[in-house]
Amino acid sequence: MGDFVAHTEQTAGEFDTAAASSVSSTDGQRGVHLPGDVHMWVMVLGDLIIFGAYFIIFMVYRAMKPQEFLTSQEHLNINIGVLNTLVLLASSWFIARSVQAARADDHTQALRLTYFGGLCGVAFTAIKAYEWSTKIAQGYTISSNDFFMFYYMLTGVHLFHVSLGLLILGITVRELRNPRRRRPFMVESGATYWHMVDLLWIVIFALLYVMR
Amino acid sequence: MQILAEAEDLPKTANIKTQLISLWTAPVFGVVLLIAFLAFPGFFPPMSPDMTAEQVARFYSDHTAMIRFSMITFNLCGVMLLPFFMVIVIQMKRMATQSHIFAYCYLTAAVSGATLFALADIFYLTAAFRPDRSPELVMLLNDMAWMIFIAPVGAFVAMNLLLGLAVFFDNGPNPVFPRWVGYYAIGTALAIAPAASAAVFATGPLAWNGVVSFWLRNGAFALFVIVMFVVLRNVLHRQAVEEGVAR
Amino acid sequence: MSSTISAQTSQSAKVADNGRTPRAGKRDVWLVFWIVPAFYTAFGVIFFALARVMPPPRPDVTTDQMVHFFHAHGLTIKIGFGVLVLIVGGAGVANGIVVYHMKRMTVGSVMAYAYLGSMSIGALPGCLLVAFCFLTAVYRPGRDRQVLALLYDLGLLSYVGSLGCFTTAYFAFAVAILYDRNNIFPKWLAYVSVWQIVTEVLAVPVFVSKAGPFAWNGSIAFWMGTVIFGFWLSCVIVFLMKANERQPVDEPPLD
Repeated sequence: MGDFVAHTEQTAGEFDTAAASSVSSTDGQRGVHLPGDVHMWVMVLGDLIIFGAYFIIFMVYRAMKPQEFLTSQEHLNINIGVLNTLVLLASSWFIARSVQAARADDHTQALRLTYFGGLCGVAFTAIKAYEWSTKIAQGYTISSNDFFMFYYMLTGVHLFHVSLGLLILGITVRELRNPRRRRPFMVESGATYWHMVDLLWIVIFALLYVMR
Repeated sequence: MQILAEAEDLPKTANIKTQLISLWTAPVFGVVLLIAFLAFPGFFPPMSPDMTAEQVARFYSDHTAMIRFSMITFNLCGVMLLPFFMVIVIQMKRMATQSHIFAYCYLTAAVSGATLFALADIFYLTAAFRPDRSPELVMLLNDMAWMIFIAPVGAFVAMNLLLGLAVFFDNGPNPVFPRWVGYYAIGTALAIAPAASAAVFATGPLAWNGVVSFWLRNGAFALFVIVMFVVLRNVLHRQAVEEGVAR
Repeated sequence: MSSTISAQTSQSAKVADNGRTPRAGKRDVWLVFWIVPAFYTAFGVIFFALARVMPPPRPDVTTDQMVHFFHAHGLTIKIGFGVLVLIVGGAGVANGIVVYHMKRMTVGSVMAYAYLGSMSIGALPGCLLVAFCFLTAVYRPGRDRQVLALLYDLGLLSYVGSLGCFTTAYFAFAVAILYDRNNIFPKWLAYVSVWQIVTEVLAVPVFVSKAGPFAWNGSIAFWMGTVIFGFWLSCVIVFLMKANERQPVDEPPLD
């Protein structure tokens, strides 16, 4: 184990360089600053591509059975869908403002805003759970038909992303609370992920609830 | 646990942190698995080996949704208990007055035991997959599912005997686990061992629905996870303090 | 455990390249590395071309059609899965070299052991059970048709539907990478592993759906999962190679 300490001291330097490199483009020329780090962007873009594929497949199946999808869609409660959308948009707004606060070194404010964003995420989850339980009580389960299978699977995997997002926000909170850290790229990465979660929901909402 | 400032970036801190993550997967997924356990319609009371093929087939067609929900959850989340047992392996490797051979045997036993646990739910799910399958074949799948779920206790018995031995061998000035953990592990092994006879007996307390093979076996396992979670939390905290990672 | 300079290794590494710059990394690790792409190529040939399990035959067929499947592909199933049973140790090797590099990370061994354990678990329900269900199905001509249908379902459900073992492995891999300061693997590979977990979650409906995108042969539950797995595996192989190259030849053996 001791051998790795030496290794770490070597690579700790690398680590700081990596952290610095994500913000170094702001030095010198006023170039494009990539918020967060490259790794999170790989995650976000890849995730968007994967979800994009799911959405395309949804559209294909919808085109094959337009009547079934339309009539099934009527059983969804669009008000709850709108509520969820507003909740998630609010959370993204909080998170975006928290990034601004963090950049301005107002860490108390950034922390508070991150908490609000996270709270909205929890509210989203609770509303979703309520929505699912009412649907199941009404007899619309995952095996009811293709539309409902898509409904549960798309919202389900989205909910999985929301819980990951809450975990990531928790890491952001830890980062902000620690005066020795508070690295901007960490806060920005967390925000990037959260905005992706919001964006995905908007598309899911549009496809499942709204599109006629 | 309060991680010290100067220790934040050290490898030994990451070692503690990854162990903490592994430790906490146990209660998080334990709750999920408990919900799945409560949701399965065939556990309250546990299905009897006496059921006829028709009754078994009817059970699967009457309760398909809950069977699927419960067993899919077991499928997806059951192996998430493995990291918890890997923390025990790491802690066994910290024992100073022995060769760590018990730790490696524990590791391999844990893997083989978990393999069977991962297999059982597939049989329940296959039994529930096609309602028009012949009842005799549904009963075949159900028999295998129950046997594979309840009877393979050998790995967990061995794990606990190894843990007990390791604790007893760990008699230097700074043992990793308190001594009673050794006795508790052996006790758990003894409580679970009789469930192996569920593969043989079709009636009575030793059958797969019996008080010994079902309730004692599963209760002892769940209790072990709960007790060892508390023990390991303390052990990890002590390790962190000893290594200068935490206060 | 004091550091030991493996003089012999560095010696032979220098000699091996006929005066060119010695390739970094250890020879024994390179030997193991090349087994990985070799095994997965064979795996691909077996599962795609021979055993006809990739893509899987459809769930929404009659018993007659299932029986016909086994008749039509009996020979290639025997060849393919027979060979698999012989070479499946390559899976152990592939998992082993990942565990090896995980142990070189600065995060301790718990995640490496979790990966080792979960992947080992996965080999049975996720790979070998389908082999033995299909081999048994084609073993005797004239087996009862309903029994053949059972073996068809059991094999394919376990193959596509073994979710938790791999989920745990990807989880352990991702956590270890994210905490690692040695940068053995790049951080984004942890996120690719998270995508793998997503594909496992999306395969949940295979136990319910007999047709459509979420069936065991469906565009989402099967095809997307396979494509993303192929991408993940390619990345892992590339980064195993890079990890090998960057490994100092005189790094002491692991604990």
